[in-house]
Amino acid sequence: MQSIIEVEHLEKRYNKKQALKQISFQVRPGEIFGFLGPSGSGKTTTVKILTSQLRHSSGHVQVLGDDPNRSRHAGFLSKIGVLTDNSGLYERLSVHDNLILFCRLYGVPDRRIDEVLEAMNLSDDRHTQVGKLSKGMKQRVTLGRAILHEPAILFLDEPTSALDPVNGGRIRETLREMNRRGTTIFLTTHNMEEAEELCDRVAFLNHGEISALDTPQALRLQHGDRSITVTTAHGKQVVQPNAEGAEYIRELMRRGELLAIHSNEPTLGDIFVTLTGRGLQ
Amino acid sequence: MNFSMRRFRAMVTKEWKDATRNPQILLNAGMPILLAVLFGQRGFEPGDLAYLSMPVLIAISVTGAFVQANMIAEEKEKHTLRALMLSPASKLEVLAGKSATTSLFALIVCAICVLVSGIPPVHLGYVLLLSFLLLLIFMALGTIIGLIARTASESSIVGLPILLVFVFGPIFVPDFDLPALMEFVHWLPSYQFVLAFTELLQDGGLRQIAGYLFYLLAWAAGTGVLSLLIYSRKRFDK
Repeated sequence: MQSIIEVEHLEKRYNKKQALKQISFQVRPGEIFGFLGPSGSGKTTTVKILTSQLRHSSGHVQVLGDDPNRSRHAGFLSKIGVLTDNSGLYERLSVHDNLILFCRLYGVPDRRIDEVLEAMNLSDDRHTQVGKLSKGMKQRVTLGRAILHEPAILFLDEPTSALDPVNGGRIRETLREMNRRGTTIFLTTHNMEEAEELCDRVAFLNHGEISALDTPQALRLQHGDRSITVTTAHGKQVVQPNAEGAEYIRELMRRGELLAIHSNEPTLGDIFVTLTGRGLQ
Repeated sequence: MNFSMRRFRAMVTKEWKDATRNPQILLNAGMPILLAVLFGQRGFEPGDLAYLSMPVLIAISVTGAFVQANMIAEEKEKHTLRALMLSPASKLEVLAGKSATTSLFALIVCAICVLVSGIPPVHLGYVLLLSFLLLLIFMALGTIIGLIARTASESSIVGLPILLVFVFGPIFVPDFDLPALMEFVHWLPSYQFVLAFTELLQDGGLRQIAGYLFYLLAWAAGTGVLSLLIYSRKRFDK
Protein backbone atom coordinates (compact mmCIF):
# COMPACT_ATOMS: atom_id res chain seq x y z
CA MET A 1 0.00 0.00 0.00
CA GLN A 2 1.45 3.34 -1.06
CA SER A 3 -0.70 5.52 1.17
CA ILE A 4 -2.67 4.60 4.26
CA ILE A 5 -4.78 7.76 3.87
CA GLU A 6 -5.47 9.18 0.44
CA VAL A 7 -7.38 12.43 -0.04
CA GLU A 8 -7.96 14.03 -3.44
CA HIS A 9 -9.86 17.24 -4.17
CA LEU A 10 -11.84 16.86 -0.95
CA GLU A 11 -14.64 19.37 -0.47
CA LYS A 12 -17.10 19.84 2.36
CA ARG A 13 -19.91 22.37 2.29
CA TYR A 14 -22.25 23.23 5.14
CA ASN A 15 -25.16 24.95 3.41
CA LYS A 16 -23.45 27.97 1.82
CA LYS A 17 -20.24 27.78 3.83
CA GLN A 18 -17.38 25.87 2.28
CA ALA A 19 -15.36 24.25 5.08
CA LEU A 20 -12.88 22.37 2.85
CA LYS A 21 -11.81 23.54 -0.60
CA GLN A 22 -10.34 20.87 -2.86
CA ILE A 23 -7.72 19.64 -0.40
CA SER A 24 -5.41 16.79 -1.41
CA PHE A 25 -2.79 14.91 0.60
CA GLN A 26 -1.53 11.41 1.32
CA VAL A 27 -0.36 9.87 4.56
CA ARG A 28 2.17 7.05 4.33
CA PRO A 29 2.07 3.95 6.54
CA GLY A 30 4.05 4.43 9.74
CA GLU A 31 4.17 8.19 9.43
CA ILE A 32 3.26 10.85 12.01
CA PHE A 33 1.39 13.41 9.95
CA GLY A 34 0.64 16.80 11.48
CA PHE A 35 -2.38 18.82 10.40
CA LEU A 36 -1.83 22.35 11.61
CA GLY A 37 -4.18 25.27 11.49
CA PRO A 38 -6.06 27.76 13.62
CA SER A 39 -9.59 27.15 14.95
CA GLY A 40 -12.13 27.02 12.14
CA SER A 41 -9.58 26.14 9.47
CA GLY A 42 -11.21 22.75 8.77
CA LYS A 43 -9.00 20.38 10.80
CA THR A 44 -11.82 18.79 12.78
CA THR A 45 -14.02 18.53 9.67
CA THR A 46 -11.21 16.63 7.93
CA VAL A 47 -10.76 14.27 10.90
CA LYS A 48 -14.52 13.66 11.04
CA ILE A 49 -14.59 12.77 7.33
CA LEU A 50 -11.58 10.47 7.63
CA THR A 51 -13.10 8.67 10.64
CA SER A 52 -16.53 8.13 9.03
CA GLN A 53 -18.34 10.59 11.28
CA LEU A 54 -19.17 13.00 8.48
CA ARG A 55 -19.93 12.66 4.78
CA HIS A 56 -17.91 14.77 2.38
CA SER A 57 -19.54 16.83 -0.37
CA SER A 58 -17.16 15.82 -3.17
CA GLY A 59 -13.72 14.43 -3.84
CA HIS A 60 -12.06 11.11 -3.16
CA VAL A 61 -11.15 9.77 0.30
CA GLN A 62 -9.63 6.41 1.18
CA VAL A 63 -8.53 5.27 4.62
CA LEU A 64 -6.89 1.83 4.87
CA GLY A 65 -8.15 1.18 1.35
CA ASP A 66 -11.79 1.87 2.29
CA ASP A 67 -14.06 4.83 1.66
CA PRO A 68 -14.94 6.01 5.20
CA ASN A 69 -18.39 7.03 3.91
CA ARG A 70 -19.17 3.39 3.34
CA SER A 71 -17.01 1.89 6.07
CA ARG A 72 -19.02 2.22 9.25
CA HIS A 73 -18.45 -1.44 10.05
CA ALA A 74 -16.71 -3.17 12.93
CA GLY A 75 -13.73 -4.20 10.75
CA PHE A 76 -12.89 -0.63 9.75
CA LEU A 77 -13.61 0.88 13.17
CA SER A 78 -11.37 -1.73 14.85
CA LYS A 79 -8.41 -0.46 12.85
CA ILE A 80 -8.74 3.21 13.77
CA GLY A 81 -8.44 5.00 17.10
CA VAL A 82 -9.86 8.47 17.61
CA LEU A 83 -9.25 11.08 20.27
CA THR A 84 -11.29 14.21 19.62
CA ASP A 85 -11.37 17.41 21.63
CA ASN A 86 -14.68 16.40 23.23
CA SER A 87 -14.38 12.62 23.62
CA GLY A 88 -16.43 11.83 26.70
CA LEU A 89 -15.90 9.39 29.55
CA TYR A 90 -18.37 7.75 31.93
CA GLU A 91 -17.79 9.96 34.95
CA ARG A 92 -19.56 7.74 37.49
CA LEU A 93 -17.48 4.69 36.54
CA SER A 94 -13.89 3.98 37.51
CA VAL A 95 -10.97 4.29 35.10
CA HIS A 96 -10.84 0.50 34.89
CA ASP A 97 -14.59 0.19 34.17
CA ASN A 98 -14.32 2.79 31.42
CA LEU A 99 -11.51 0.86 29.76
CA ILE A 100 -12.94 -2.61 30.25
CA LEU A 101 -16.08 -1.62 28.33
CA PHE A 102 -13.96 -0.77 25.30
CA CYS A 103 -11.80 -3.89 25.77
CA ARG A 104 -14.97 -5.95 25.41
CA LEU A 105 -16.28 -3.87 22.50
CA TYR A 106 -12.99 -4.28 20.60
CA GLY A 107 -12.46 -7.89 21.71
CA VAL A 108 -9.13 -7.02 23.35
CA PRO A 109 -7.84 -9.10 26.32
CA ASP A 110 -8.35 -7.40 29.70
CA ARG A 111 -4.60 -7.50 30.43
CA ARG A 112 -4.14 -4.77 27.82
CA ILE A 113 -5.63 -2.36 30.38
CA ASP A 114 -2.54 -2.80 32.61
CA GLU A 115 -0.21 -1.88 29.73
CA VAL A 116 -2.26 1.18 28.82
CA LEU A 117 -2.57 2.37 32.43
CA GLU A 118 1.18 1.98 32.84
CA ALA A 119 1.87 3.95 29.66
CA MET A 120 -0.53 6.70 30.75
CA ASN A 121 0.91 6.79 34.30
CA LEU A 122 -2.51 5.90 35.70
CA SER A 123 -1.86 2.52 37.33
CA ASP A 124 -2.46 3.88 40.83
CA ASP A 125 -5.76 5.44 39.77
CA ARG A 126 -7.35 2.44 38.10
CA HIS A 127 -10.15 2.23 40.68
CA THR A 128 -10.69 6.00 40.94
CA GLN A 129 -14.01 7.32 39.72
CA VAL A 130 -13.37 9.27 36.50
CA GLY A 131 -15.43 12.22 37.74
CA LYS A 132 -12.86 12.75 40.50
CA LEU A 133 -9.88 12.97 38.13
CA SER A 134 -8.25 16.20 36.98
CA LYS A 135 -8.76 17.38 33.39
CA GLY A 136 -5.28 16.21 32.45
CA MET A 137 -5.84 12.76 33.93
CA LYS A 138 -9.14 12.44 32.08
CA GLN A 139 -7.32 13.32 28.88
CA ARG A 140 -4.88 10.50 29.58
CA VAL A 141 -7.76 8.04 30.17
CA THR A 142 -9.32 9.14 26.87
CA LEU A 143 -6.05 8.64 25.04
CA GLY A 144 -5.63 5.27 26.76
CA ARG A 145 -9.05 4.27 25.48
CA ALA A 146 -8.11 5.36 21.93
CA ILE A 147 -4.98 3.17 21.90
CA LEU A 148 -6.45 0.20 23.80
CA HIS A 149 -6.92 -1.87 20.64
CA GLU A 150 -3.57 -0.83 19.08
CA PRO A 151 -5.12 0.74 15.99
CA ALA A 152 -3.37 0.90 12.63
CA ILE A 153 -4.15 4.64 12.45
CA LEU A 154 -4.57 6.92 15.41
CA PHE A 155 -6.40 10.22 14.87
CA LEU A 156 -5.54 12.71 17.59
CA ASP A 157 -7.08 16.14 18.00
CA GLU A 158 -4.97 18.23 20.38
CA PRO A 159 -3.89 15.23 22.49
CA THR A 160 -1.77 17.13 25.00
CA SER A 161 -3.69 20.41 25.20
CA ALA A 162 -4.91 19.81 28.77
CA LEU A 163 -1.68 18.32 30.09
CA ASP A 164 1.20 19.70 32.13
CA PRO A 165 4.67 19.50 30.49
CA VAL A 166 5.66 16.29 32.34
CA ASN A 167 2.53 14.38 31.38
CA GLY A 168 2.52 15.95 27.92
CA GLY A 169 6.05 14.63 27.43
CA ARG A 170 5.00 11.22 28.67
CA ILE A 171 2.13 11.10 26.19
CA ARG A 172 4.44 12.14 23.35
CA GLU A 173 6.83 9.35 24.32
CA THR A 174 3.92 6.87 24.27
CA LEU A 175 2.92 8.11 20.83
CA ARG A 176 6.47 7.76 19.54
CA GLU A 177 6.61 4.22 20.95
CA MET A 178 3.32 3.34 19.25
CA ASN A 179 4.63 4.86 16.03
CA ARG A 180 7.85 2.80 16.32
CA ARG A 181 5.64 -0.28 16.55
CA GLY A 182 3.94 0.68 13.28
CA THR A 183 0.93 2.85 14.19
CA THR A 184 0.35 5.70 11.76
CA ILE A 185 -0.61 8.89 13.57
CA PHE A 186 -2.71 11.72 12.18
CA LEU A 187 -2.27 14.62 14.57
CA THR A 188 -4.03 17.97 14.61
CA THR A 189 -2.51 20.52 16.93
CA HIS A 190 -1.92 24.17 17.65
CA ASN A 191 1.24 23.29 19.50
CA MET A 192 4.16 23.97 17.17
CA GLU A 193 6.78 22.46 19.48
CA GLU A 194 4.72 19.29 19.60
CA ALA A 195 4.41 19.20 15.81
CA GLU A 196 8.15 19.83 15.35
CA GLU A 197 9.01 17.17 17.92
CA LEU A 198 6.66 14.46 16.66
CA CYS A 199 5.74 14.93 13.02
CA ASP A 200 7.48 13.46 10.01
CA ARG A 201 5.47 15.78 7.74
CA VAL A 202 3.06 18.61 8.36
CA ALA A 203 0.31 20.27 6.36
CA PHE A 204 -0.80 23.84 7.02
CA LEU A 205 -4.55 24.27 6.73
CA ASN A 206 -5.97 27.76 6.39
CA HIS A 207 -9.60 28.63 5.56
CA GLY A 208 -10.17 25.08 4.26
CA GLU A 209 -7.13 25.06 1.98
CA ILE A 210 -3.71 23.46 2.35
CA SER A 211 -1.11 26.20 1.99
CA ALA A 212 2.00 24.06 2.53
CA LEU A 213 2.88 20.40 3.01
CA ASP A 214 6.36 19.05 3.69
CA THR A 215 8.71 17.89 6.43
CA PRO A 216 9.27 20.48 9.18
CA GLN A 217 12.95 20.67 8.20
CA ALA A 218 12.20 21.25 4.51
CA LEU A 219 9.67 23.98 5.38
CA ARG A 220 12.22 25.70 7.60
CA LEU A 221 14.81 25.59 4.84
CA GLN A 222 12.37 26.82 2.18
CA HIS A 223 11.07 29.72 4.23
CA GLY A 224 13.96 30.32 6.53
CA ASP A 225 16.46 33.03 7.09
CA ARG A 226 19.89 31.38 6.99
CA SER A 227 21.53 34.07 9.08
CA ILE A 228 23.14 33.36 12.45
CA THR A 229 22.79 35.24 15.72
CA VAL A 230 25.90 35.51 17.85
CA THR A 231 25.80 36.63 21.46
CA THR A 232 28.74 38.38 23.11
CA ALA A 233 29.09 40.36 26.33
CA HIS A 234 28.11 43.43 24.27
CA GLY A 235 24.81 41.94 23.04
CA LYS A 236 23.41 40.02 20.08
CA GLN A 237 24.38 40.44 16.46
CA VAL A 238 23.04 38.89 13.27
CA VAL A 239 25.73 37.48 10.98
CA GLN A 240 25.19 36.35 7.39
CA PRO A 241 26.42 32.86 6.40
CA ASN A 242 29.24 34.03 4.13
CA ALA A 243 33.05 34.32 4.27
CA GLU A 244 32.87 37.65 6.06
CA GLY A 245 30.51 36.27 8.69
CA ALA A 246 32.67 33.18 9.18
CA GLU A 247 35.73 35.37 9.70
CA TYR A 248 33.84 37.52 12.23
CA ILE A 249 32.75 34.47 14.27
CA ARG A 250 36.29 33.04 14.12
CA GLU A 251 37.64 36.33 15.46
CA LEU A 252 35.14 36.35 18.35
CA MET A 253 36.11 32.78 19.22
CA ARG A 254 39.78 33.57 19.04
CA ARG A 255 39.30 36.46 21.47
CA GLY A 256 37.11 34.32 23.72
CA GLU A 257 34.21 36.76 23.40
CA LEU A 258 31.64 34.39 21.88
CA LEU A 259 28.97 33.47 24.47
CA ALA A 260 26.35 31.77 22.26
CA ILE A 261 25.60 31.09 18.61
CA HIS A 262 22.16 30.28 17.13
CA SER A 263 20.86 29.67 13.63
CA ASN A 264 17.85 31.81 12.77
CA GLU A 265 15.61 29.03 11.45
CA PRO A 266 11.98 30.05 11.67
CA THR A 267 9.57 28.00 13.76
CA LEU A 268 6.62 26.31 12.09
CA GLY A 269 4.48 29.02 13.68
CA ASP A 270 6.56 31.72 11.97
CA ILE A 271 6.27 29.95 8.63
CA PHE A 272 2.50 29.62 9.07
CA VAL A 273 2.21 33.36 9.66
CA THR A 274 4.42 34.07 6.63
CA LEU A 275 2.30 31.85 4.40
CA THR A 276 -1.18 32.73 5.62
CA GLY A 277 -0.88 36.08 7.28
CA ARG A 278 -2.51 34.77 10.45
CA GLY A 279 -1.43 33.04 13.64
CA LEU A 280 -2.18 29.49 14.71
CA GLN A 281 -4.20 30.26 17.85
CA MET B 1 -26.44 -4.84 10.75
CA ASN B 2 -24.27 -7.24 12.76
CA PHE B 3 -25.00 -8.15 16.38
CA SER B 4 -22.40 -9.45 18.79
CA MET B 5 -23.47 -10.97 22.12
CA ARG B 6 -20.06 -10.05 23.59
CA ARG B 7 -20.57 -6.38 22.80
CA PHE B 8 -24.21 -6.53 23.93
CA ARG B 9 -23.16 -8.01 27.30
CA ALA B 10 -20.45 -5.35 27.64
CA MET B 11 -23.05 -2.63 27.05
CA VAL B 12 -25.49 -4.12 29.57
CA THR B 13 -22.75 -4.42 32.23
CA LYS B 14 -21.72 -0.81 31.69
CA GLU B 15 -25.30 0.49 31.64
CA TRP B 16 -26.20 -1.37 34.83
CA LYS B 17 -23.13 -0.12 36.73
CA ASP B 18 -23.69 3.43 35.53
CA ALA B 19 -27.46 3.47 36.08
CA THR B 20 -27.21 2.15 39.64
CA ARG B 21 -24.95 5.12 40.45
CA ASN B 22 -27.09 7.69 38.66
CA PRO B 23 -29.25 9.65 41.18
CA GLN B 24 -31.72 10.74 38.49
CA ILE B 25 -32.34 7.17 37.38
CA LEU B 26 -32.60 5.94 40.98
CA LEU B 27 -35.14 8.70 41.65
CA ASN B 28 -37.13 7.64 38.58
CA ALA B 29 -37.07 4.07 39.84
CA GLY B 30 -37.88 5.02 43.45
CA MET B 31 -40.88 7.23 42.68
CA PRO B 32 -43.23 4.43 41.52
CA ILE B 33 -42.24 2.36 44.56
CA LEU B 34 -43.14 5.23 46.87
CA LEU B 35 -46.48 5.67 45.09
CA ALA B 36 -47.10 1.91 45.34
CA VAL B 37 -46.44 2.02 49.09
CA LEU B 38 -48.98 4.86 49.45
CA PHE B 39 -51.40 2.92 47.27
CA GLY B 40 -50.96 -0.16 49.48
CA GLN B 41 -51.58 1.92 52.60
CA ARG B 42 -54.79 3.31 51.12
CA GLY B 43 -56.20 -0.11 50.32
CA PHE B 44 -58.95 -0.50 47.72
CA GLU B 45 -62.71 -0.76 47.56
CA PRO B 46 -64.50 -3.45 45.49
CA GLY B 47 -65.28 -0.79 42.85
CA ASP B 48 -61.67 0.28 42.56
CA LEU B 49 -60.62 -2.44 40.12
CA ALA B 50 -59.23 0.00 37.56
CA TYR B 51 -57.07 1.62 40.23
CA LEU B 52 -55.37 -1.70 40.94
CA SER B 53 -53.49 -1.48 37.66
CA MET B 54 -52.05 1.93 38.55
CA PRO B 55 -48.91 0.81 40.45
CA VAL B 56 -47.95 -1.42 37.52
CA LEU B 57 -48.79 1.26 34.95
CA ILE B 58 -46.79 3.92 36.80
CA ALA B 59 -43.85 1.55 37.41
CA ILE B 60 -43.63 0.58 33.74
CA SER B 61 -44.18 4.04 32.31
CA VAL B 62 -41.84 5.94 34.62
CA THR B 63 -38.98 3.42 34.56
CA GLY B 64 -39.53 2.38 30.94
CA ALA B 65 -39.68 5.86 29.46
CA PHE B 66 -37.61 7.97 31.82
CA VAL B 67 -34.72 5.57 32.53
CA GLN B 68 -34.35 4.91 28.79
CA ALA B 69 -34.60 8.62 27.93
CA ASN B 70 -32.09 9.58 30.61
CA MET B 71 -29.54 6.99 29.46
CA ILE B 72 -29.74 8.08 25.82
CA ALA B 73 -29.78 11.84 26.50
CA GLU B 74 -26.81 11.59 28.86
CA GLU B 75 -24.72 9.73 26.28
CA LYS B 76 -25.32 12.65 23.91
CA GLU B 77 -24.74 15.29 26.56
CA LYS B 78 -21.42 13.83 27.75
CA HIS B 79 -20.23 12.95 24.21
CA THR B 80 -19.84 9.30 25.14
CA LEU B 81 -22.18 8.22 22.35
CA ARG B 82 -19.56 9.49 19.88
CA ALA B 83 -16.93 7.22 21.46
CA LEU B 84 -19.32 4.26 21.27
CA MET B 85 -20.17 5.00 17.64
CA LEU B 86 -16.47 5.11 16.78
CA SER B 87 -15.99 1.67 18.34
CA PRO B 88 -17.11 -1.56 16.68
CA ALA B 89 -20.38 -1.44 18.66
CA SER B 90 -23.29 -1.05 16.26
CA LYS B 91 -26.18 1.33 16.91
CA LEU B 92 -28.39 -1.72 17.43
CA GLU B 93 -26.06 -3.18 20.08
CA VAL B 94 -25.92 0.14 21.91
CA LEU B 95 -29.71 0.51 21.90
CA ALA B 96 -30.25 -3.14 22.84
CA GLY B 97 -27.86 -2.77 25.80
CA LYS B 98 -29.79 0.24 27.06
CA SER B 99 -33.17 -1.37 26.49
CA ALA B 100 -32.14 -4.56 28.32
CA THR B 101 -30.98 -2.48 31.31
CA THR B 102 -34.18 -0.45 31.28
CA SER B 103 -36.21 -3.69 31.15
CA LEU B 104 -34.30 -5.06 34.12
CA PHE B 105 -34.97 -1.88 36.09
CA ALA B 106 -38.65 -1.92 35.11
CA LEU B 107 -38.98 -5.59 36.06
CA ILE B 108 -37.47 -5.06 39.51
CA VAL B 109 -39.46 -1.86 40.17
CA CYS B 110 -42.66 -3.48 38.89
CA ALA B 111 -42.19 -6.57 41.09
CA ILE B 112 -41.59 -4.40 44.18
CA CYS B 113 -44.64 -2.25 43.33
CA VAL B 114 -46.85 -5.32 42.99
CA LEU B 115 -45.60 -6.69 46.33
CA VAL B 116 -45.99 -3.48 48.34
CA SER B 117 -49.30 -2.37 46.85
CA GLY B 118 -51.14 -5.62 47.58
CA ILE B 119 -52.38 -6.31 44.03
CA PRO B 120 -53.95 -9.81 44.01
CA PRO B 121 -51.71 -12.23 42.06
CA VAL B 122 -54.14 -13.25 39.30
CA HIS B 123 -53.29 -14.52 35.83
CA LEU B 124 -49.60 -13.70 36.28
CA GLY B 125 -48.69 -14.94 32.79
CA TYR B 126 -51.17 -12.60 31.08
CA VAL B 127 -50.24 -9.72 33.37
CA LEU B 128 -46.59 -10.25 32.44
CA LEU B 129 -47.45 -10.34 28.73
CA LEU B 130 -49.51 -7.14 28.95
CA SER B 131 -46.79 -5.47 31.03
CA PHE B 132 -44.10 -6.52 28.56
CA LEU B 133 -45.98 -4.97 25.63
CA LEU B 134 -46.59 -1.79 27.63
CA LEU B 135 -42.88 -1.69 28.53
CA LEU B 136 -41.93 -1.94 24.85
CA ILE B 137 -44.19 1.04 24.09
CA PHE B 138 -42.78 3.18 26.88
CA MET B 139 -39.18 2.22 26.08
CA ALA B 140 -39.78 3.30 22.48
CA LEU B 141 -41.24 6.59 23.72
CA GLY B 142 -38.26 6.93 26.08
CA THR B 143 -35.87 6.39 23.18
CA ILE B 144 -37.59 9.16 21.19
CA ILE B 145 -37.56 11.50 24.21
CA GLY B 146 -33.87 10.75 24.79
CA LEU B 147 -33.06 11.52 21.16
CA ILE B 148 -35.03 14.79 21.20
CA ALA B 149 -33.65 16.04 24.54
CA ARG B 150 -30.21 17.66 24.47
CA THR B 151 -29.33 16.85 28.07
CA ALA B 152 -30.30 14.27 30.68
CA SER B 153 -32.20 16.85 32.74
CA GLU B 154 -33.99 18.09 29.64
CA SER B 155 -35.25 14.53 29.06
CA SER B 156 -37.36 14.86 32.24
CA ILE B 157 -38.88 18.10 30.97
CA VAL B 158 -39.56 16.72 27.49
CA GLY B 159 -40.96 13.52 28.99
CA LEU B 160 -43.28 15.15 31.51
CA PRO B 161 -46.14 15.94 29.09
CA ILE B 162 -45.98 12.35 27.83
CA LEU B 163 -46.19 11.05 31.39
CA LEU B 164 -49.16 13.34 32.08
CA VAL B 165 -51.05 12.20 29.00
CA PHE B 166 -50.22 8.48 29.03
CA VAL B 167 -50.34 7.82 32.78
CA PHE B 168 -52.54 10.40 34.43
CA GLY B 169 -54.99 10.47 31.51
CA PRO B 170 -56.34 6.96 32.21
CA ILE B 171 -56.26 7.61 35.99
CA PHE B 172 -58.12 10.92 36.20
CA VAL B 173 -60.05 11.59 32.98
CA PRO B 174 -62.68 8.83 33.54
CA ASP B 175 -63.66 10.60 36.80
CA PHE B 176 -64.76 13.73 34.94
CA ASP B 177 -67.52 14.33 32.44
CA LEU B 178 -65.27 15.19 29.52
CA PRO B 179 -66.44 13.11 26.54
CA ALA B 180 -63.99 14.56 24.00
CA LEU B 181 -61.01 13.99 26.28
CA MET B 182 -62.31 10.55 27.19
CA GLU B 183 -62.49 9.68 23.50
CA PHE B 184 -58.80 10.63 23.19
CA VAL B 185 -57.80 8.70 26.34
CA HIS B 186 -59.57 5.66 24.95
CA TRP B 187 -56.95 5.49 22.19
CA LEU B 188 -54.04 5.44 24.60
CA PRO B 189 -52.31 2.07 25.14
CA SER B 190 -52.10 2.83 28.85
CA TYR B 191 -55.91 3.02 29.06
CA GLN B 192 -56.26 -0.22 27.09
CA PHE B 193 -53.79 -1.77 29.55
CA VAL B 194 -55.97 -0.63 32.47
CA LEU B 195 -59.06 -2.14 30.83
CA ALA B 196 -57.26 -5.44 30.14
CA PHE B 197 -55.92 -5.55 33.70
CA THR B 198 -59.44 -4.98 35.05
CA GLU B 199 -60.72 -7.88 32.93
CA LEU B 200 -58.08 -10.16 34.45
CA LEU B 201 -58.99 -9.05 37.98
CA GLN B 202 -62.60 -9.97 37.18
CA ASP B 203 -61.34 -13.46 36.32
CA GLY B 204 -61.32 -12.82 32.58
CA GLY B 205 -59.05 -14.92 30.37
CA LEU B 206 -57.28 -14.76 27.03
CA ARG B 207 -60.60 -14.40 25.16
CA GLN B 208 -61.45 -11.25 27.13
CA ILE B 209 -58.04 -9.62 26.75
CA ALA B 210 -57.15 -10.74 23.20
CA GLY B 211 -58.36 -7.46 21.67
CA TYR B 212 -56.34 -5.42 24.15
CA LEU B 213 -53.27 -7.58 23.50
CA PHE B 214 -53.47 -6.93 19.76
CA TYR B 215 -54.03 -3.24 20.39
CA LEU B 216 -50.94 -3.03 22.61
CA LEU B 217 -48.98 -5.13 20.10
CA ALA B 218 -49.89 -2.68 17.32
CA TRP B 219 -48.80 0.27 19.49
CA ALA B 220 -45.55 -1.52 20.40
CA ALA B 221 -44.83 -2.21 16.73
CA GLY B 222 -45.69 1.36 15.70
CA THR B 223 -43.69 3.14 18.39
CA GLY B 224 -40.86 0.61 18.03
CA VAL B 225 -40.52 1.23 14.30
CA LEU B 226 -40.77 5.00 14.81
CA SER B 227 -38.09 5.04 17.51
CA LEU B 228 -35.75 2.84 15.45
CA LEU B 229 -36.29 5.07 12.43
CA ILE B 230 -35.43 8.22 14.39
CA TYR B 231 -32.52 6.47 16.13
CA SER B 232 -31.01 5.14 12.90
CA ARG B 233 -31.31 8.50 11.14
CA LYS B 234 -29.85 10.42 14.04
CA ARG B 235 -26.24 11.12 13.15
CA PHE B 236 -23.60 12.43 15.50
CA ASP B 237 -21.89 14.73 13.02
CA LYS B 238 -23.53 17.98 14.03
